Amino acid sequence: MNIIALAGNPNSGKSSLFNHLTGLRQKVANFPGVTVDKKFGTLRLPGSGEVQVIDLPGTYSLYPSSQDERVTLDVLANPASEIYPSAVVYVADVTHLEKHFLLLTQIIDLGFPVILALNMSDLAEKEGIQVDTRQVSAYLGVPVVSVSGRRGDNIAALRQEIDKLLKEKKIVRRSSSIFQFYASEEKKVVAEIQASLNITNPYHALLLAHHHLRLPFLKKEEKTQIAAICQAAGFKDLPLQIAETMGRFSTYGPVLKRAIRKDGERNTLTDKLDAIFTHRIFAPLLFFAIMFLVFQAIFAWAVHPMNWIDQGFINAGEFLNRVLPPGWLTNLLTEGILSGLGGVLVFVPQIAILFFLITLLEEVGYMARAVYIFDKVMQQFGLNGRSVVALISGGACAIPAIMSTRTISNWKERIITIMVTPLISCSARIPVYTVLIAFVVPEGSLFGIFNMQGLAFMGLYLLGIMAALVSAYVFKKILKSKERSWLMLELPPYRMPMWTNVWLTIREKVGAFILGAGRVIMVVSIILWGLATYGPPKKMERAEREAIALAQEHSLNEMATANLVAARKIEMSYAGHLGKFIEPAIKPLGFDWKIGIALITSFAAREVFVATMATLYSIGSSDDEATIHNQLAEARRPGTGELVYTTATSAALLIFYVFAMQCISTMAVVHRETGSWKWVFIQFGYMSTLAYLASLTVFHLLN
Amino acid sequence: MDHSVTQLKEGEFGTVRCFTDERMAGKLMTMGVLPGSKVQVVRIAPFNGGYYLKVDGTNMVLREAEADSIVLEVLADS
Repeated sequence: MNIIALAGNPNSGKSSLFNHLTGLRQKVANFPGVTVDKKFGTLRLPGSGEVQVIDLPGTYSLYPSSQDERVTLDVLANPASEIYPSAVVYVADVTHLEKHFLLLTQIIDLGFPVILALNMSDLAEKEGIQVDTRQVSAYLGVPVVSVSGRRGDNIAALRQEIDKLLKEKKIVRRSSSIFQFYASEEKKVVAEIQASLNITNPYHALLLAHHHLRLPFLKKEEKTQIAAICQAAGFKDLPLQIAETMGRFSTYGPVLKRAIRKDGERNTLTDKLDAIFTHRIFAPLLFFAIMFLVFQAIFAWAVHPMNWIDQGFINAGEFLNRVLPPGWLTNLLTEGILSGLGGVLVFVPQIAILFFLITLLEEVGYMARAVYIFDKVMQQFGLNGRSVVALISGGACAIPAIMSTRTISNWKERIITIMVTPLISCSARIPVYTVLIAFVVPEGSLFGIFNMQGLAFMGLYLLGIMAALVSAYVFKKILKSKERSWLMLELPPYRMPMWTNVWLTIREKVGAFILGAGRVIMVVSIILWGLATYGPPKKMERAEREAIALAQEHSLNEMATANLVAARKIEMSYAGHLGKFIEPAIKPLGFDWKIGIALITSFAAREVFVATMATLYSIGSSDDEATIHNQLAEARRPGTGELVYTTATSAALLIFYVFAMQCISTMAVVHRETGSWKWVFIQFGYMSTLAYLASLTVFHLLN
Repeated sequence: MDHSVTQLKEGEFGTVRCFTDERMAGKLMTMGVLPGSKVQVVRIAPFNGGYYLKVDGTNMVLREAEADSIVLEVLADS
């Protein structure tokens, strides 16, 4: 299958074009050997059949400084790669062509067949910018198509151009570069690398000279070879890079000036909006107001769909109990799987709303402003302004948030951001918070407008943010680094969100949650049901006999007897043993063995807590209709008859979930992004300690 | 007379002549800040925070040290 890559600067509108080209046929894949996710999609063309499209992260040049920007170089400079593209579609913002030509001419010099997509033709029209595409095409020797990713203009023409390029029997690769300005040491190094590594393209050889230390695909002996060649020739990478950049701008600059006609000035809507949104006083206030609205919205908008889903699962359970013959299989289905799954799916609306709002902020261009506003503050905590993006997305899920730290070029700032991001309450904590907040905070509203539970919710988020900042500060004091740190960020113009982009992102993220979490929950629910239903046979029998004897002694009715038997049996089950085993460790926090079981299972994923509680309590009770909240509300400690979920216990449990690192997927991502287990253990260790001590404190203050 | 960007007040602009730091120059150039580019200071964040600049029509933000490495040759009021 043919592979084409979409490349371009940040803010070139690449993703919109990618969405137009591939529609719903896209996925994020983790490519073997490369520690970076790439977006893949497929495109069907009449002439050349199915084509795979890779969306490369935006970068300004083939001289990258962050992890994120490095991907483009890693892919385009490695002909041996499985995803080495046969052609590149270069997306350029037509309103800033000069800047976007730097990377374009570098990619052309690498010898790739290129199609230039001049994006944002709608904006160009509005600003009175006219580009003579024929002149540009003749100068570069590549086909040029004017498109609008926003309006979807001319996408068909772009597809045709791709088809035409791929249909040609033999795709022509250039062997020489358009731009010739090699200094003498450059020429020498290029010739020697070409000879010793058998490379045809001179610019490819030059890039290897510049980047050999950091290119993952080069063999060790190749690196030594290149290093020796560079040293012998006195190759100074930085001045040569600057000379190359200057040379490119001065070569194509005059040509572009002739090809572009501008009349009138840029629209100033962005300037007007930024006068408010980056204002020295209003900006932070507006930021907090926006965040506040986001969290109110999660509560206010999600209520109804949540009720529908809840009722749906109750109905399904009743229906299955009615139509299926009684037995262990029916039990497993209704008490194990269904109650576990229902307990989590009910939170999909809240999660979708959170992802929706965060994607929206990103789409309209607000995130870059947040980076600017908070850069100075973030530096005090050893973070970068860009950490704000990770911390905000951490509110949805730590996994994409940690991956977004690739834009932070400074190692120390990036590690600290990764270390503290899981302290930001993610959407998986929503189910846990929602269930437990109800025990700590009464329903109702403050001043008639603010939902009190919503406020408590926000409080927990603030607690997480504070913990993240304090931890970051501690890490800043411990970690040492002399590496330089950057802000240097382009602020894209404010734009109306592209609804297809928003929709595709939500679909991808929520789908991943349902599939990822759903799978874990299914497995955990089944195992848990087994552990809670079965136990050492003799002990189970004795528990049943004793319970029945006790029931007869107190002349209990049939229902109460059944409840007592179930309760005694679950205590004697394998799950009961497991919970009892860790009970001494968690008793100081006010947790009983049932919560213990939930803590153990939710180390896989936090949201499993609710599923576990649902399973445990629905097995222990004959009342199938009660939702998880009611079941917990009625839970009492055996013997004393005290309520299990007192304010103190619930609050301690809430605090535990704010701080604890309970997510195997996040740990896997941290391992992948940092390249070592060291940081995974450090993170797990400090967060668990924090969680234990904080909830111990809270329990003793409230009890 | 030469000035660094940090010597400009909000609203003032100038033309880039050169850079005082090679590594920053390399990065700034790839973002389109080149000798000859027109730089305007749009906003300065409080407490020595970032510089909000307009460079040849593109909005970008730089830290104080980053902005300080850009040497301008012309200084003019808007």
